[in-house]
Amino acid sequence: MSKITTLEQAAASIPNGSTVAIGGMSMNSAPMALVRELVRQEKKDLELVAIVSGMAVDWLVAGGCVRRVVSGLVSFEGLGLAPNFRAAVQSGQVAIEEYSEHLLVCRLQAQSHDLPFIPTKAGLGTDVLGLHAASGTVREEKDGPTGEHYVACTRLPVDVALVHAHEADQRGNTRVNPKLMWLDNEVVNAAGRTVVSVERTAETATFAAEPERTTYPGFMIDAVAPAPWGAYPCSCFPDYSHDSEFFMAYSQAARDRETFTQFFQERVVGPETWEDFLAVNSVTAGVST
Amino acid sequence: MSTPVPGYDCTMDELMVVTFSRAMSNDTRAFNGAVSFIPVSGYLLARRTHAPELVWAASSIAIDADPDEIGDSTLSDSLWGGASMLSNSTFDFWAFAQGARYNTFAFRGAQMDAYGNVNNTVIGPYDAPKVRLPGGGGMADLGAMIPRIYLWSSTHDPRTFVDQLDFRSGMGWGDGGDHRERLGMPGGPQLCITNLCVFDFEPVSKRMRLASLHPEVTAEQVQEATGFEVLMPDGEIPVTAQPTAEELHILRTEVDPTSARLREF
Repeated sequence: MSKITTLEQAAASIPNGSTVAIGGMSMNSAPMALVRELVRQEKKDLELVAIVSGMAVDWLVAGGCVRRVVSGLVSFEGLGLAPNFRAAVQSGQVAIEEYSEHLLVCRLQAQSHDLPFIPTKAGLGTDVLGLHAASGTVREEKDGPTGEHYVACTRLPVDVALVHAHEADQRGNTRVNPKLMWLDNEVVNAAGRTVVSVERTAETATFAAEPERTTYPGFMIDAVAPAPWGAYPCSCFPDYSHDSEFFMAYSQAARDRETFTQFFQERVVGPETWEDFLAVNSVTAGVST
Repeated sequence: MSTPVPGYDCTMDELMVVTFSRAMSNDTRAFNGAVSFIPVSGYLLARRTHAPELVWAASSIAIDADPDEIGDSTLSDSLWGGASMLSNSTFDFWAFAQGARYNTFAFRGAQMDAYGNVNNTVIGPYDAPKVRLPGGGGMADLGAMIPRIYLWSSTHDPRTFVDQLDFRSGMGWGDGGDHRERLGMPGGPQLCITNLCVFDFEPVSKRMRLASLHPEVTAEQVQEATGFEVLMPDGEIPVTAQPTAEELHILRTEVDPTSARLREF
């Protein structure tokens, strides 16, 4: 049975209250088309796992979809703070479970490898570890034989991972061009289910012709949702870079609640289809290359 | 706003980049994280001048990148032009970092303390923050793994240089003394380059110590702008060395022709 579905159906398969890992890194390769659809479907009480994120988390927070953010960093990088994330954490509306990048990588690896913990030097000596003294999700330990200090990172269960890629076939075989650079494999490997949005679909024969270029095998992918420009306004290297103008207009609008509500409706959630969204935002090149 | 440096034919951003660049060497193997315009410019300048074999992974991904210009993000593909390898975060980067094959990293924080520890997580109490900042990202990781850490700040004032961090997101010299060594961490912070001066770290206490003053800045001014006691070196405090015309020309025309580094001012 073909795994190819629509953004709408893929989002509808994710229940309220799910733990959802969001792929991408900072301004790069976030599954924005899937994220937008979650906001449109007014999901509630999601727990987000977003290692180093920005706009994806901010959209979901702005949409009132989020209970908790498990993350190492959320910002718009050189273009400023993520305004809704910042406000929601400051007001206590959204909880944050704070780690660092590598602590989260190790927790996801403990999950995917089905081990009680993965050790790392990350976090030693910082206040990050103290935040988890009660839960013990990451804890400082000492190796008996050598006396070396390390941090034990325990499993991080994830219901569903959302990632963006360039091409997939109906069996779920997925390709990132020219190769995977960020940490998406960690969330895919750890998650119970994975939905991938893709710039375009491809014939299965093209994967057999170049198997060394396949990023995720079909059996790891549960649903494929075609979405050209599906990472916009983030980047999808090498097809397109992030759209600084969108980030700046969004941040500008967020200075005033009413202005932002209108912006968010008109430019983000209002357009009915992803194609409508691209048109509203003047992403006019049509199909990404 | 970057300002002209009195007596030098350059502005403060340029003096900071050149000072950073000169601290690099041929065996520097560096990478960079978010909002790192000064270090990125510094790595590229060093490679074009005195350290041609310096290794730099743009955004921690694109090894040996040689971009035509620096865009509005230092963690983006716009920096990747000319790379000899696009590496992968999981398989390559964390192995190169935790094994200290990469030996150099630079970070800055909204707050920094005397030991070069940094905060980029919250201002105010953690549970009820006055300002929720982006979070430490890889600071807590790389502070523990990388032997040569460099800090910089374009806002040298008592709000940035504080006696007590509101949150320690990244480890510098920790509590000072042999704290890093006890935790099994290599090296530690080497320099902190600001818009007033350059600090090094006193070898025993591991506290910031004035290494040089930028032109027409006094030690008293630095102390007033710093929320902790600044250690003074023995003898006269040197003035930060002047950039050469060649360094400035390369920085302005080849390394950062669009002045992306001014995003930090």
